[in-house]
Amino acid sequence: MLGYVAIGIPCGILSASIGLDALQVFLLSMLFYSGAGQFMIPNMWLAGSPLASIVASVSLVNTRQMLYAASFAPRCEGVKKRLAFLFAATVTDESYGVNTAKFEAGGWSVGRATLVNLMSQGSWAISNVVGVLVGNAVGVPLAIASFAMTSIFICLLATQKASAANVVAAACAMLGVFTCKTIGLSGPAILIGALVGVMGALLFSWAKERG
Amino acid sequence: MEAMGWGDFLIVFACCALTMLACRVLPLFALKGKELPENVEQALGFIPPAAFAALVANDLLTPGMFDAGLWPAAAPLVAAAVVVAVAWKTKSLLWCALSGVAAYALLMML
Repeated sequence: MLGYVAIGIPCGILSASIGLDALQVFLLSMLFYSGAGQFMIPNMWLAGSPLASIVASVSLVNTRQMLYAASFAPRCEGVKKRLAFLFAATVTDESYGVNTAKFEAGGWSVGRATLVNLMSQGSWAISNVVGVLVGNAVGVPLAIASFAMTSIFICLLATQKASAANVVAAACAMLGVFTCKTIGLSGPAILIGALVGVMGALLFSWAKERG
Repeated sequence: MEAMGWGDFLIVFACCALTMLACRVLPLFALKGKELPENVEQALGFIPPAAFAALVANDLLTPGMFDAGLWPAAAPLVAAAVVVAVAWKTKSLLWCALSGVAAYALLMML
């Protein structure tokens, strides 16, 4: 949970740098609740992306939660619908890791897993709000705030599994973004680049399967 | 840059929160213990590397960035290389953010 505080505070500071207030950041942290997504929104806003492109790109990144939800589906059989809903709605990358390990070790219930989720969510929301207050008090220069976000995305990228297909995905995405910017499509560049990356990796793995 | 107002905020917030909730909850109830189709799972797995690479490229690469000479245009790339090293060593988002900002600020002062 300390991890949530360590990232939540910078996330709040960066959100404050595009003029979001404490209430807005609190709402995002409680109901949207996504580290990568909450860094993407200020980052793309600073890059001047149109709203539709921000929404589509953030939603695209959200879809990875489907993998988590699918993997927990067997654990939720026979669990009350309301609890299963609350549990599913509060899963994130970090608590997914913790809960998967606990479920595999045995003696773990959906109720306790939900408690882990809710505590993570609470500390995320509180540290984000603290970050906004700090950000407003300190006034972080925009160039610095912006590079902090770049660094976070570099870290998220560098800690992905370095499989050949993932490398193809990343390379195609970068090429896609650069091409979009070269032809003047800087608004949807991130979204198009990411889709190009996914398609490139799919084609690559299909080609490999066929030998 | 304009600050993000309540109108724009609400659009982004509502859309993102709804798609997020759908992605988190629907598979749990729709699958009922079955697994996702293999190619869907594969495509979903490629989204994080592709999306993060796109975000990084968008921040670091601009056509014609070296037109005015190699330096200081290459400073963010050097700082980015520092962050990659820190990421592999520590796997910590916080250390990456701190070292990235420090490297960037130092290089900009040169």
